[in-house]
Amino acid sequence: MNIVELLSVAWQGILSNRLRSALTVLGILIGIASVITLIGIGEGAKQEAEKQVQSLGVNLIYIRPGQVSSMGISMGQGNAPTLTYDDAVAIRENCPAVKEVAAQYSQSFQVQYGEKNTMTQVNATEPNYPDIRNFYADRGRFFTKRELDDAARVCIIGDTVANDLIGEGNPVGKQLLIRGELFDVIGVMEKKGMTQGMDMDDQIFIPLSTGYATLFGLNQVTGKTVRNILAQSKDGEDWQAQFQITNLLRLRHNIQNPEEDDFMVRTQVDIMQTAQSITGVFSLLLGATAGISLLVGGIGIMNIMLVSVTERTREIGVRKALGAKHNQILAQFVIEAVLISMTGGILGILLGVSGSHFISNIAEWPTVVTPISIILSVCVSLAIGLFFGIYPAKKAAMLDPIVALRSE
Amino acid sequence: MSNVIELKDVWRIYNEGAEEPVYALQGVSISIRHGEYSAIVGTSGSGKSTLMNIIGCLDRPTRGTYMLDGIDIENRSDDELATIRNKTVGFVFQQFNLLGSMSALKNVMLPLVYAGIPGKERKIRAELALKEVGLENRMHHRPNELSGGQQQRVAIARAIVNKPSILLADEPTGALDSTTASEIMDLFGRLVKEGMTVILVTHDPETASRANRIIKVRDGKILEDIAMGTVS
Repeated sequence: MNIVELLSVAWQGILSNRLRSALTVLGILIGIASVITLIGIGEGAKQEAEKQVQSLGVNLIYIRPGQVSSMGISMGQGNAPTLTYDDAVAIRENCPAVKEVAAQYSQSFQVQYGEKNTMTQVNATEPNYPDIRNFYADRGRFFTKRELDDAARVCIIGDTVANDLIGEGNPVGKQLLIRGELFDVIGVMEKKGMTQGMDMDDQIFIPLSTGYATLFGLNQVTGKTVRNILAQSKDGEDWQAQFQITNLLRLRHNIQNPEEDDFMVRTQVDIMQTAQSITGVFSLLLGATAGISLLVGGIGIMNIMLVSVTERTREIGVRKALGAKHNQILAQFVIEAVLISMTGGILGILLGVSGSHFISNIAEWPTVVTPISIILSVCVSLAIGLFFGIYPAKKAAMLDPIVALRSE
Repeated sequence: MSNVIELKDVWRIYNEGAEEPVYALQGVSISIRHGEYSAIVGTSGSGKSTLMNIIGCLDRPTRGTYMLDGIDIENRSDDELATIRNKTVGFVFQQFNLLGSMSALKNVMLPLVYAGIPGKERKIRAELALKEVGLENRMHHRPNELSGGQQQRVAIARAIVNKPSILLADEPTGALDSTTASEIMDLFGRLVKEGMTVILVTHDPETASRANRIIKVRDGKILEDIAMGTVS
């Protein structure tokens, strides 16, 4: 008996109870489709997170103030006024692995243009910010070193701010009020969208010196406090840069015990790893959920095959009387189970792929169906058919022909 | 003529070694020659079904030897017995035992599938066998589209398609009305004339009377073994 004959015998078995076979196929179909779709969603989330981290900039290093505990109560990360403009200057001068540094101080202010006003984030920084963040002015220009030194009252507005306040027409050359202070709009930033949960287009950039002079004032203890310092390492030297910055800041802040660090230095790789570990857990959870439905589908196959073997005991007896060998009966029922699971698997892949596209389009959520998840699905449905088919098939093959022929 | 079946002192004991063993066969010896038309008769519980199972290689003797067409059945594995059944024994059952999802032709082809005969030859031989039983016009019907007599003819075609050494018929007319039963018995008579060895297993004296030899079984032993000559 060759494989074609075995297949046709098994196919006959499936056709002999169409509704039941179709329902069993459905169990596997749903399982495989949910695996494909949910892994697609998880994979999409992962790639989206990676894309966002990439969009932060190139070779980016984030330096943020650490946590301040006041009488045992944590004030939350990044709230301590421990980083200063002088730290940024020191990093620029003393860390050979660092290419660029831009200090940032940001705060929300009321911004007014004509009759309209809005609340937005004012980000005071330095002229090399666009290079570090890979985020440039689209119309007009960013401010210059000279404007920083002069504490010029210039600003570059984000796309959202431009639409909200100025609407139609070119914003460049217009004037607006930030907390009552007059600023010249010299540029509009390119549209960037959301990055790390923050709308990059809903902010206004001004020179850091201007910020201190007109909006923030100086901190009485530390002088020019900064919210964070962005640094860019030289290519391939992010670890060295991180090390140099950490040592420098410990020296400047008189810290001997690393556990008492009042700052955090995180490279883009660190941020990427955090993002990946989060999306990894996400994918795993989705995959596990889908896996359970697949398991249920497999148990469905076993159940139906057991019923089928019981119902067809006499057929098995006849086949044995006519000369069917143990392995031929075994193969007949295993192949039947595998055919059911593979049919479910292939239909499930089709449904899963189209389901992923559907979710992408409707929910605007990126889903990625990788060839690996398709190959994996085919293998898994094959394995399910084999695993859950072998026991019922063995039961059939072991039947005593005399007993089987006598059964009703 | 040589013997196709040779049972020597065959015992079949169920639950041997247990507290209450069942002696289904107790030292049965039978020889059946090629081309002989015999009937094994007995009431239910007489041991005739056990005897039939052993002759048909569905079961093995607990003790004693059984030679079927020169093959010693002792110490054969299940798969070897399956091959012997496939090549040597044609079964006809009371309930026909056709597979309902297949056409008459496919049913008749089934033993040839397990014999490993290629598809084309299989079809030709199955068609010939169906012609032999007079069903050449019903080849593509399913069993539920055929009458009882036609179904039994399909079963007989299936039994003879692989040219077995013996045809073993278990109550072949038990599920048929008397007219149809008579037609089926005529068919067996014709097969015997063509040289087939036919063994009927029945409790019905009228069916048995068609055979040339009647082997009466009771309590697992041969009670009588009467040759009726060649009158048919």
